[in-house]
Amino acid sequence: MDDLASNLALETEVQTDKAVLQACAVDGVEPRMVVTPASVQEAAHVVAEVRRNGLQLLPRGGGTRLHLGGVPQHIDIVLNTTRLSRLLEHEAPDLTCRVEAGITLAELQRQLAQKGQQLALDPPDEEQTTIGGLLASNASGPRRLRYGTARDLAIGLRTIQPNGEISQSGGRVVKNVAGYDLNKLYIGSFGTLGVIVEANFKLHPLPPAERTLLLAYSEVKEAMQTVSALLRSPLGPTAIELLDRGAMNRLLRRAGFQLPAQGYALAVHYEGNIRVINRQIHDTYLLARQYNALIGDELEEKEQLAFWKSIRQLLSEKFTCAVSLPIADVARYFQLIEAVSQRHNLETATIAHAGNGILFIEIEGIAEPMSDNDQQRLAEAVEALRLSARELRGHLIVERCPTSFKHRVDVWGATNKDFALMQRLKQQLDPDGTFVKGRFLGGL
Amino acid sequence: MSIIEKTAVTTDRRLSTAQKGSVVQELRGLLGARNVLSTPYDLTLYEYDASIERGKPDIVVLPSSTEEVAAIVRLAARYQIPVVPRGAGTGLSGGAVPIQGGIVISFARMNRILEIDIPNLRAVVQPGLVNLHLSNALLPQGFYYVPDPSSQRSCTLGGNVGENAGGPHTLLYGVTTNHVTGLEIVTAEGEVIEVGGTTCDTPGYDLTGLLIGSEGTLCIVTKIIVRIVPVPESVKTMIAVFNTMDDASNTVSEIIASGVIPAALEMMDHMILQAVEADTHAGYPMDAAAVLLIEAEGLKESVTEQVEQIVAISKKHHARLIRIAANETERQLLWAGRKNAFGAVGRISPEFYVQDGVVPRTKLPYVLRRIQEICDRYDLKVGNVFHAGDGNLHPLILFDSQKPGEVERVRQAGHEILAVCAEVGGSITGEHGVGLEKQAEMALIFSDVDLHVMQQVRAAWNPNELFNPGKLFPLPGRCADIRHLSSCDSKQTSRKG
Repeated sequence: MDDLASNLALETEVQTDKAVLQACAVDGVEPRMVVTPASVQEAAHVVAEVRRNGLQLLPRGGGTRLHLGGVPQHIDIVLNTTRLSRLLEHEAPDLTCRVEAGITLAELQRQLAQKGQQLALDPPDEEQTTIGGLLASNASGPRRLRYGTARDLAIGLRTIQPNGEISQSGGRVVKNVAGYDLNKLYIGSFGTLGVIVEANFKLHPLPPAERTLLLAYSEVKEAMQTVSALLRSPLGPTAIELLDRGAMNRLLRRAGFQLPAQGYALAVHYEGNIRVINRQIHDTYLLARQYNALIGDELEEKEQLAFWKSIRQLLSEKFTCAVSLPIADVARYFQLIEAVSQRHNLETATIAHAGNGILFIEIEGIAEPMSDNDQQRLAEAVEALRLSARELRGHLIVERCPTSFKHRVDVWGATNKDFALMQRLKQQLDPDGTFVKGRFLGGL
Repeated sequence: MSIIEKTAVTTDRRLSTAQKGSVVQELRGLLGARNVLSTPYDLTLYEYDASIERGKPDIVVLPSSTEEVAAIVRLAARYQIPVVPRGAGTGLSGGAVPIQGGIVISFARMNRILEIDIPNLRAVVQPGLVNLHLSNALLPQGFYYVPDPSSQRSCTLGGNVGENAGGPHTLLYGVTTNHVTGLEIVTAEGEVIEVGGTTCDTPGYDLTGLLIGSEGTLCIVTKIIVRIVPVPESVKTMIAVFNTMDDASNTVSEIIASGVIPAALEMMDHMILQAVEADTHAGYPMDAAAVLLIEAEGLKESVTEQVEQIVAISKKHHARLIRIAANETERQLLWAGRKNAFGAVGRISPEFYVQDGVVPRTKLPYVLRRIQEICDRYDLKVGNVFHAGDGNLHPLILFDSQKPGEVERVRQAGHEILAVCAEVGGSITGEHGVGLEKQAEMALIFSDVDLHVMQQVRAAWNPNELFNPGKLFPLPGRCADIRHLSSCDSKQTSRKG
C-alpha cells in the first residue's frame, strides 16, 4: 500500500484518514485508501499501480449510486474521479460535447445551458451525480420516455483498462458503426470492466416551453388505459409518471404537493413549442376523460420545476425495488403490489415511469438494524414480487436496502443463461480482477 | 484488408473435397437435401454482396428454425469451418462475403413475423424478414418500425442488426441499436441464448447493445425483438435547391445548430441529380449544384413551425427554390428518387464505389470540398448523396474496372476520403460497417489499445474465429502501414494546398 502511494504522481491526492475511508465505505466494506487524481493520465497510472500490486479498485464519482448492487468482496483503493471535472469541448453547432467523467450532471447542464443546450438525462441527485457514475450505473429519469437513456446519448467513451491503458470506444460523431459498440458494454457495467474517464454526448436544444398535466384516477386500470392511449397516439409526451396513494402522500409530505389522497395520479409532461403544447394538453384531456380521469391540474414555471424535482427524488430512503415490466402489465402489477403489501403488512409507495413499464416501490418504515421478523417479511414480499415480475417477462432489482438484507436476498435476482457470456467478457477484459467484485449481477 | 488492397482469398481453412463431402452429407441429414447448396453453380450467387469484394463459400445452407441454426453451428465447430450469416446480400462492406469459405447460412427461409404486440409496442421477428415487410404489416394498425435503410425493400432485419443499419429517418429517431430491445442468438458453441428482452434495463451487461453492429463476428442472431412506434400525424417533405454545394451544406449546419431536428435531412449533388432524374423523373432540378430533401414530421402544429424555420434558413443561404410536396404521390416520388439513387447511378457509370464516412456536421462544407479535390486529383468522377443531417457522407466514386489501373485509383481515393473524415474527428463508417473493406482503415480512428479491447471481446465469444472470420479487424501488422500512409497523404495535400 505505502509502496503504491509513493509511486503515484505528486498531484494525486492520497487519503487514509479513518473518517474519509468510512465515508467511502460501500455496504460497510471500507477501502484502505482513497485516491483522487488530478488528470486522466494520473488516474490511469493509479489503475496500473493497483493492478501491479495485485489490489482491487472501485471507481467513485459523487457516491450517489453506490447503494446499488451486492456487497463488495473487498476494496483496497477507491479512485475518486471528482477532480476530472472539465467540460472539454462543447460543439454547440454540432450538438455534441466532450466531457470529463467527474463533472456533476448539474454543472454540465449549467455550462451547456449557456448555449441553450442540454444533455437529455434527468436522474435523481443531479447536483452530486457525476457523468461517470451516471454512465456506470445507467441512471435515468422520467424523460427517458422521449430521449432514451445513456446508451442512446453517449457517442464515445474513454475508459481506463485494468492495465492502466486508456481506450477509446465510439467517437465524436452522432452516427458511427466502426468496430464493436463498446460504449454499450461500459454503460451500466458498474465499473467492473473499466473506469470511464471521458464521455462524448449527443445533445438536445433546451425546450422553449414545457407544461405538466396532472390527472387523478380511482382505478389504476383506467390510469394505465390512458397511458396506453397516449403511447398509441401521435402526441409524444416527454414523460408519464404514475403515482399510487403512498407516493402521493410522500409528495405531500416532502414537497407540499396536494394530490388526491385516494386512488392514483398521472403526471404527463410535454415540452417544445407553446402552440404545440396547447394542442397536446388539450388532446390529453380529451383522452383522459374517456378513461374517467377525475380532475385535471396544470403545472407551469417554478411549480412545475419543483414538482419534477420532487418526483425524481421521491424514493430515496431505505428500501427501494425497481421493477421492469411490459407496459400492458403495469396496472395488474400495481394491484399485485397492494395485495403483497397487505399480506406482509407493509406500507408501500410506488411511482412508475408508466410509459416505459418501470416501477419503483419504496417499502416504508423499515427500522435499522432490521429485526429478524422484518428480514423475513421483506424477503418473502420481495421474492413474491420478483416471481410475479419474472412470470410477466420482467425483472425486479432491489435498488436500495440495508446491507444485512443483501446477505439474505440477491439484489439482482437469479442470473439467466446469458450470464455465461457476461462472465466470459469479465474474464477477458479484467482477468486479474482489478476492478472490485461482488457488486454486479452474479457477483461480477 | 483495406480499401487500398485487392481482395486476397486466404485458403488456410478451405475444406478438402473429402471433408466437404462428409459435411454436406451431414448437413443434408439435418436440413434436407434441398436446403444444402454445394455445386459451383449454386454457390456463385453467394460469393458477393453489394460491395466490391468477393469470396466463394464451400456450402450454403437454408435453415428454417433456431434449432437448425444451432445444429449447423455445432457441426461447423466440430469441423472447425467458418460460418457466415447472410440476409439479402445488400451489405456494402463485404459483411456477408465468405472470404475464408466455409458455410454461409442464408436466412431466406427464416423470414416470419413471430409476434406483433401493439399494447407493449414490440414486434418479434426472424432475422430473414425484409425490413419493409415489417412496417407494411404494422401500418394498417397505425404503427411502423423506424430504421429505413435505402435498401429496405430487400434488406433483412438480421442484416440490419449485424451492421447496425441506419437510413434517412434515423436523424431524429436513431439507428437500429436504438430500436432493438432483445435478441435470441446462437453462440460459437451452438448454444441458444436470449439476451435483453421485451422490457427495459435488463440486469447485467447490455449484450444486445454490444451485439448490434458486431457484423456476425460474435454470434448468429436467430430472433429479434424491436420497438414499434405510432405513425406521425403529419409529414411534410420538401426540397430546397441550391446553386452551390457550400450554400447547401451551410444550410444543413444551420438547421442542426438552430435545434430544429427534422425527421430526415438528405443531400444530393449535381451529378446524383442528373442520374436520379433520368431514372425516376421525381421532379428534381437537373441543373442545380445541390438539393436538400427535408422531411418534418410530428403533430401538424409542430410540422408547420419546423417547415417555417427550415424555409427561412434555406432562404438565408440563397436557396433558389423551395418546393413542398403537394401530396403523398409527390412525396413518395421524391423519396423514390432518393432511395433509388445508388441504382440510378448505374445509368451514368458501369460501376461505382460508395464510401460511408461520418464527420461533425459543422465540417460538412470543408469535407465536401476535400472529397472533390481528392477525386479531381485521381481524375475520378464523384457524386454525393447522403444523410447530411447526421454528417454521414456517401460519396459515390464512378469507375470502370475494365480500364487498367482505375480500380486502384478508386481505392486510393476512397482511402484518402476516409483519412479526411478521421482527421476532422469523424468516423470511417456510419452505417455500412467495416466488413472486409475498411479493416485497415480502423487504424485511422482507433489505437492499438482500442483495437485490442475489441479483440478481447471477440476472443471471449468467438475464440476460434469461426464466426465471420477475416472481417472488421485490421490484419496483423497493417495498422502502422496505414497510419504511415495517411500521414503521407496529409503532407502531400498540405503541400498542394
